[in-house]
Amino acid sequence: MLQRLIRFLRREEPSSKIASSRLKLILVQDRLGVNEEVMKDLQQEITQVLSRYFTLDKNQVEIDLQREDQAMALVANIPIRGMKGRG
Amino acid sequence: MGKVIVITSGKGGVGKSTSVANVGTALAMLGKSVVVVDADIGLRNLDIIMGLESRVVYNSMDVIDGSCELEKALVTDRRVENLKLLAASQRNNKTDVQPEQMKDVCLKLRETHDYVLVDSPAGIEQGFENASSAAEAALIVTTPDVSAVRDADRIIGLLQAKEVYDLQLIINRFAPNMVKKGDMLNQYDVLDVLSIKLVGIVPEDPSIVGSSNRGLPLVYDATSEAAGAYKRIARRLDGQNVPVPEFKAIGWFSNMFGKLFG
Repeated sequence: MLQRLIRFLRREEPSSKIASSRLKLILVQDRLGVNEEVMKDLQQEITQVLSRYFTLDKNQVEIDLQREDQAMALVANIPIRGMKGRG
Repeated sequence: MGKVIVITSGKGGVGKSTSVANVGTALAMLGKSVVVVDADIGLRNLDIIMGLESRVVYNSMDVIDGSCELEKALVTDRRVENLKLLAASQRNNKTDVQPEQMKDVCLKLRETHDYVLVDSPAGIEQGFENASSAAEAALIVTTPDVSAVRDADRIIGLLQAKEVYDLQLIINRFAPNMVKKGDMLNQYDVLDVLSIKLVGIVPEDPSIVGSSNRGLPLVYDATSEAAGAYKRIARRLDGQNVPVPEFKAIGWFSNMFGKLFG
């Protein structure tokens, strides 16, 4: 009870939340057979290419490897602000 | 003809054998003919959990090397109709059996039983290969923690590579109080990453230790919450639509009350 109060006052993040984020990252890496550095590079390059066409918030780009029925899919979530003018 | 289901996890100690014993018994209680097969060659324990260790005479190795007829090697559980055990050898190890040989045995058992539940050893090596050789479906057992879920994910990938797509998840040792406090992953966290169908959640239950000590599967105990969960899993496997109950976190007052008068 007292522990809960202390955690609340310190605004400590529940360990299950931390576990959940770690798990997601670990599984993407496991499934792709890559490590964190490669993931970062991949994310940067995808962001680079897309920002030639769109205005986007580079910090909001999310890359995930998800399991679907019988295959894996690389799923990216890229919030877009607008099209860039060509030329 | 019946169905061969492998119960596996990747991670050790998450409750595969316990799940096989309890789900197998619960299915038999529903009137199905069930044979549970211990595929943990060299480290057998399904016989202990079922409380049948003193009745094991022959094992799957004897059947495979031809020294015993399959029917003769099956130990009949006397507590419920139509439940049998095929024990593993305690002397050999996993490399003494080839996947094809295990597959033959399981397919033969499938001809005369509704369910063949194969208890897989932990790991992803030959033990797992042997256990999953005949599987048409799998129950993946995990506990709500990072290591177990990671291993479960790997096992799921391996099963899908073998074209076993009928995969269902058992979340074992679920502690509602810890989940409520944010100290344990909840079922949504786990399902979010594993993305397979959930067949049941088994709550943490201290009576499990006693049931293993006695060699009496928990499903015989009407008061145990985990027993109830295993019975519901059996019903769902059998095609019944049974909702997952909400596991109540015990409040401070009820907990103290329970401790005083329990």
